[in-house]
This record gives sequence, C-alpha cells and structure tokens, in this order.
Amino acid sequence: MNNKNKILEMDNVVKIFGGLKANNGVSFEVEKGEIRGLIGPNGSGKTTLINQITGIYDATEGHIRYKGKKINGLQPDVIAAMGIMRTFQVARVFLNMTVLENMLIPAFTQGQSNNEANTRAEELLDFALLSRLKNKPTKSLSGGQFMLLQIVRGFMRKGLELYVMDEPFAGVHQSIKGIIIKSIKMMNQDKNVTFLIVSHEMATISSLCSKVTVLDKGARIAEGSMKEVANIPEVIDAYLGG
Amino acid sequence: MNLFHTKYLVFLILVLFAAFLPMYIGEYWQYVLTIAFFYAILAASWNLLSGYTGLFSLAHHAFGMIGAYTSTLLMAKAGIPFWMSIPAGILLTMLISSLMGIMCLRVSGLYLALITWAFAEVARNYFRLHYTFTGGDRGLESSLLFGTIQPTPYYYLFLGLLIATIILIVLIMRSRIGYYLKAIRDDSIAARSMGVNIVRYKIFAFAVSSGLAGMAGAFYGHSIGLISPIMGDFNEMAMIIIFVVIGGIRTMPGPIIGAIAVRILMELLRAQSEVRILILSLLVIIIMRFFNGGLMELYRQIKQWINKDKNGGTSAYHEIETPKQGES
Repeated sequence: MNNKNKILEMDNVVKIFGGLKANNGVSFEVEKGEIRGLIGPNGSGKTTLINQITGIYDATEGHIRYKGKKINGLQPDVIAAMGIMRTFQVARVFLNMTVLENMLIPAFTQGQSNNEANTRAEELLDFALLSRLKNKPTKSLSGGQFMLLQIVRGFMRKGLELYVMDEPFAGVHQSIKGIIIKSIKMMNQDKNVTFLIVSHEMATISSLCSKVTVLDKGARIAEGSMKEVANIPEVIDAYLGG
Repeated sequence: MNLFHTKYLVFLILVLFAAFLPMYIGEYWQYVLTIAFFYAILAASWNLLSGYTGLFSLAHHAFGMIGAYTSTLLMAKAGIPFWMSIPAGILLTMLISSLMGIMCLRVSGLYLALITWAFAEVARNYFRLHYTFTGGDRGLESSLLFGTIQPTPYYYLFLGLLIATIILIVLIMRSRIGYYLKAIRDDSIAARSMGVNIVRYKIFAFAVSSGLAGMAGAFYGHSIGLISPIMGDFNEMAMIIIFVVIGGIRTMPGPIIGAIAVRILMELLRAQSEVRILILSLLVIIIMRFFNGGLMELYRQIKQWINKDKNGGTSAYHEIETPKQGES
C-alpha cells in the first residue's frame, strides 16, 4: 500500500481512564478518499477513539498520524486547522447564536473573508434546506436540524480533508437523514473529503462505506466490507453478546 | 439595517443629553451620576467577561481596586505622574487578570467563581493588612486628577470613559472575536473543534474586561481622593452583578441602564437607608421571577406586545426572534 494514500493511521492506540481501558491497542488505517465506517457495540471505545483523533483527549499510549504526521497530543483547534472537522454524538451547536453565525465560526477561524464565508454559508444552508432559518436563534431549531446544522457547519472549512462523524444519523428524521447522506456522498466525490463515520445504522453504513472497522471492548476485532465482517464469528459474538 | 440606525441615533441622543445635563442639575447629582458611570463601566466590562464569554468571575471589583491602588501608590510613593501611573494601573490589572485567566483555563462555573472570589479576598486583605504601605482600612489619600473636588470635570471624565468603554465592547462584539467569545460561552468544546483558540480568547476576555475595571478604578481613586479596601468588599461585586442582571445580561445597554438606574434609585432612597437594600432585593426577586432577561427583556416584551397589537397577532416564530444584530 502506498504510504501517501494513508490519510489517517491509528498505531496501537491505548486510552486509559483511571482503571478503565477504553481503547486497548487499536490499530487501523484510513485511505484518502475513503468513507470508512467505525462500528461496534455500545462501550466499545468508538467515541473515545474519535476524541483522541480530534484532540479532545490525548492517547495514553500509541500514535495517531494524519498524513504521516503525529497529531495525538495536539489541541483540538490546531487539529481543526490541519483540515480535520468533526461532529458530536449529541449535536454541539452554538444555541444562542443564529444559524448563520454558527456556520461562520469555522470559516472565520480559518481566516476566510466575510464575503467568502457568507457565500459559502448561504450555499450550504440552501443545500441543507436551512436557508429560511438562517437568522433565527439556533435554539429554535429541532433536534434533527441541530444535527444537520452541525454537519454542514463542518463543510464550511475550505480544504476539508478528513471529516470524523459521531453517530450522524442518530435520532434524525428520514428526510434529514437523506440530506446528510447526500452531503457526505457529494463532498466525498466532488471534494475528495475522507470520512470516518461512527454509526449504529448498519444499513446506512453498508450502503455508504466500502470498508468498515469493528471495535469491541476497546480493540479492533475485524475490518472489511460490511458483508465480510458480518460473517466473522467475533463480530456476531460482540453484537449478540457472547 | 434600520434597527442599527435607530440604535445609534438613540445612543447619540443619550450622549448629547448626558453632555448637557450638568447645566441643569446641581453638583450633588453630578457626583451621583459620576459614581453611576463608574459602576456602569464595571458592569459593562463584567458583562463582556461573564455575560458574553460565560466566564463567571467574582474578582471584577478587585481589579477595580488593584487599578486604583496601583495608580495611587505609584503617585504617592514614587512621584510618578498621572499619565504614567494610570496606564500602569491598567497594565498591571491586565497582567494579573491574564495570569488568573491562564490559571482558570480548565475551570468554569462554580469553580471559576470560587477561585476568582478567593483571589479577590487575597487582594483585599493584602491592601488591608499591609497598612504601612497601603494605609490599610484607614484608606489612602489619592491626588485629585483635576485638583478640585468640584464634580463637573469628573462627571465629563467618567462620561467619556463610559462612552469609550461602550464603543470598545461594541467593536469587539461585532468583530470575529465577538463571535468566538459567544461560541466559547455556548459550547467551548465545539468552539475548539471548529478551530477557535479558546486559550487565547479566554485570556483576551479576562485581560480586556479587567483592564477596563482597572481603568475605572484608577480614575475613580483620583476622582474621589480617597481609596480604601472597601472597593474590594464582596458587596461591591454583588452590586455589579445586580446591575447587570437588573439591566439585562448579554445585552449591550442592559448593564449600563441597570447601573445608572439602580444607583439613582439608591440615592433617592438614601433617607431610608435601612429599607433601600430591602427594596433593591425585592426588585431583584421580582425581575428574576418575571423578566429574567432584566429590563431589556421587559423592553422586548413591551415592544413585542405593541407590535402584536399593530399586526393583529404574530406567529410563534416571531416571538423568539431576537434583534437582528448579526445581520449586515
């Protein structure tokens, strides 16, 4: 495998909280342009892993490399500046700001001009069918719209390379889910954005991702296409509670 | 856009009104308003830190005190002139508050409040106990900026300082930094993940807001001629919070309206000094219960009620609409 194609490398990542080993030596690689699924039962360490990729936590052991450069231990804003955006399982939006203001934050921190940022925001809000709400306070949106806003907000970053999503389809209405899937496919094809998506929605992950990584009890237990991993005994065990 | 013009126009009219007011009121009320402007600066700058940025500090009054003592002590002990001692006071408060900001980076809410309160107590007790240097509880005489106790020049001085403070805070809040500060308050983890350097902007908020408090304190000392550790009393901090909350936290005019209105009210009730704290407390309870956005919320509700009457009822969506401040 050509090293240059690897956008993200997890190398024996261990994360210990007190006496709990949330990640126990996770290793896998994501190639540029991929839409990778990250699945596993509750408590298998998916969110902990994402929090280490995006700098919310530092890894206890091991390395996380982005385009060949070690990123674990860097601050979240530094990691964001390198072209990695993320979403959170429970949508984190700026409730007291307007929808448009939410969109402008990642563009401003990147130093985009007002004009550029506003145009970009208008386009993305149009796409997400949130345009008519742009000057409303964000707290007036619905839960599904929070998630949608959170996702399109990440697309505001120009030159976005890796988008890490934590349960983007959880608790959202079918129509919003459709928009989210469409946006992922579009950004992947048009802008070659790489995605790492944590989700419990097997059908959606199966249709979006050519490859999935399965975690259980903090460790990687399988990798391959959804079809392949679904037949691996350890995976069945993990999901059915062996 | 229209709303903006109206806002600026109202601001201009109020400034003009305040500028001509001393011709029609006596020295006593000029003095009262000077003190009110001093508190308005403290309230507006505390609102920048604790309202907009969400860093609930209980040391704001202490920074006012530090500014006052720094400038007064530099003049009294080292013979340094005003134009150097006052900026020195401002710089020192900015420096100390930046250090406090760094120390408090990982704490928020109640813990931040407790740390800042403890710092304020340390500062107050330092000025009390090191009395050979600071004058202790007896206070310290401060040379008067205009060499007179006649209040008119000080009235204009503090009016000018208040206007400068308002303009500075408006400029900050309308800039990108303002967006970052609001984002940090709403969700600091999301803000960091969106690329906001929260270390830099939290320290910025501490330094600017405390620097304004230090400035107000330094000028205050040189205006009333005597400073004492009472400036660092917790009651002073409580008053700042009351001004902001009564006026309307996270609004630009709220803290200023709150400070001036409450100071005037307290002055009117001076004869009944026993009951005035009772009335003030009742006012806080009533406002918190019925308009927890303060007087600005009351104003918004009245405006909405008038509009509703005019339009024959608006949809629920319009009710949550806030003034379109970000639109430009």
